[in-house]
Amino acid sequence: MNNITDGGIEILLVEDNPDDLEMTLRALRKAHLANNIQVARDGAEALDFIFGTGPHAGRKVENRPKVILLDLKLPKVDGIEVLRRIKGDPRTRMIPVVMLTSSKEQPDVNECYGIGVNSYIVKPVNFESFASAVAELGMYWLLLNHPPG
Amino acid sequence: MATVRQIEGSLKELNELKAALDEHAIVAITDAQGKITCVNEKFCSISKYAREELLGQDHRVINSGFHSKEYIRDLWTTIARGQVWRGEIKNKAKDGSFYWVDTTIVPFLNEQGKPRQYIAIRAEITARKNAEAEVRKLNAELEARVVSRTAELETTNKELEAFSYSVSHDLRAPLRAINGFSEILLSEYASDLTDEARHYLERIRNGGVRMASLVDELLKFTQLNRHSLQRLKINMTDMVQEVVNELKQGNSRSVDTSIGHLPDCDGDPVLVKQVWMNLFSNAFKYTRNRDHAVVEVGCQQKNGAYIYFVRDNGVGFDMKYAQRIFCVFQRLHTVEEFEGSGVGLAIVQRVVHRHGGRVWFDAAPDRGATFYFTLNGE
Repeated sequence: MNNITDGGIEILLVEDNPDDLEMTLRALRKAHLANNIQVARDGAEALDFIFGTGPHAGRKVENRPKVILLDLKLPKVDGIEVLRRIKGDPRTRMIPVVMLTSSKEQPDVNECYGIGVNSYIVKPVNFESFASAVAELGMYWLLLNHPPG
Repeated sequence: MATVRQIEGSLKELNELKAALDEHAIVAITDAQGKITCVNEKFCSISKYAREELLGQDHRVINSGFHSKEYIRDLWTTIARGQVWRGEIKNKAKDGSFYWVDTTIVPFLNEQGKPRQYIAIRAEITARKNAEAEVRKLNAELEARVVSRTAELETTNKELEAFSYSVSHDLRAPLRAINGFSEILLSEYASDLTDEARHYLERIRNGGVRMASLVDELLKFTQLNRHSLQRLKINMTDMVQEVVNELKQGNSRSVDTSIGHLPDCDGDPVLVKQVWMNLFSNAFKYTRNRDHAVVEVGCQQKNGAYIYFVRDNGVGFDMKYAQRIFCVFQRLHTVEEFEGSGVGLAIVQRVVHRHGGRVWFDAAPDRGATFYFTLNGE
C-alpha cells in the first residue's frame, strides 16, 4: 500500500469488510497487481481520496487511479452514492469503476448500470473464483484498457 | 240496469275485498291536497296514532326525515301527473320509532283529469330493511378486515424481502471468510498440517461450501414470491424436451426418457420450467444406482383437468416419512447418499400453488416415485 506518491496510485479499493479486504488484497498480490493500491474503508474516505478533500486535502483530482474497486454497501456514504459522485464529475467520470457486490439480488445493481458502472463482480463465496475474478478484472483495467487522457 | 240484487252482490264482494285488504295492508286515502281522509286499522297500529289524530293531517305527521327532498318531490310530481308511484319509505311512528313500508300510491282523477284523491297501499318491510342494513354492515366489516389483512400480508412480504436481502448480503460475508481462508490454508499451508488437521480443515471448507449453496437455494425460493405470475400458452412438449436436453448435457449417464403426449397449458413459462427442471433432476438423481434408469413423463385427463406426471424407477421412498417432503430443507436422504439442498420440491409446490394447482406423489422404497401436478383448479 502506498499513498506517499499519490501520482502512482493504480487501484483504489473501497471495502469495509476486513475479511473481504484481506482476500481481495491477497488476490491482487497473487496476480502481481498489488503495487500502488490505496484502500478506503468507507464511502466518505473514498470520496476524500478521489476529490482531494479532508485528510487528502492537497491531493490533485487529476491524479486519477486507473481503476476503482468499489463495494456496494459501505458505511457513511453508500457505494452507489460514491459511484454517482464519480460519474457525475467531468474530472473523474472516465475512471473505470468496478462494483463489488455480495449478490446480484441487491436491488441497487441495476441502478449502478444506470449511473454508468463499468462492470461488477458478485463476490463469490467460493474463494478461488473470487480471486480469479478480481485478478482478471484488475488485469483488464490496468493492462489492457487504456484510459483516455 | 243493474238490479238491486246485483248491486247488493257487488257491494258484498267489495266489502269482502276491503276486509281482506285491511287484513294485509296499511291503507290511507288522502284528498288532492294530501290531507288524510281515511286510514285503516293497520295504519293506526303501525304509526301508533289514533285515527282522530291522523284525519285532516297530511303525511308529514309520520315523516322520518330520512329521505331526500328530491325523492319526496319525485313522489308528488308523479302522482300529481296522475301516475302510479311505487317505492320504499321510512316513516316515524308517534313514539319516535321508525318503520319501513313498501308503498304503492294510486291517484284517482276527476272529470277534468286532475287527481281527486290518492289511495296509498303499503306493506311493512322493516325486518327486511334491517336485515339488508345488517348485511351491508357485515360486508363493510368484512371489507375492512380484508383491507387490514392485506396490509398485514404486505408487511410480512416486506419483512421477507428484507430478510432475503439480509441473507444474500450479510450472511454471505462471513461465509466468504470461512471458505476463503480455509481455501488459502488448504492450498498454501497443506504441507504444514498433519493429515488429521487437513481432514478437519476440509470438513470446515465443505461445510462452508454447502452452506453457501443452501443460502443460494433459499434465495431462489424467496425470489419465487417476488416474481409476478404471467399466464401464457406453454407448449409443454417443447419445454420438457428442452429441460431433458439441458439435464442430459451435464450428465454422461444414460437415462431412458419417454415423453408421452403433453397437452399445452396456460402458465408462467419461467416458473413452470422450474417445476419440470426440479422434478426431472430429482428423477435423474434418484435413478443413479439403477442399471437401466427409466424416467417417464406424461399427462392424464381427469374431470377436465390435465394431470402431468414424472415417474422414475429409482430408489423411491417410504410414504410414511413423506409428509414434509414439500417443506424447505426437508430431505429423505442423507447428503452422502444423494446430494441436494431440500429446496427443489418446495419450489415445485410453491409454483404449482401460485398457479392454483395441486401437487402430490406416489412412491415406495426401492420402487421409484411418481410426482403429479396440475396447474389449474380441478
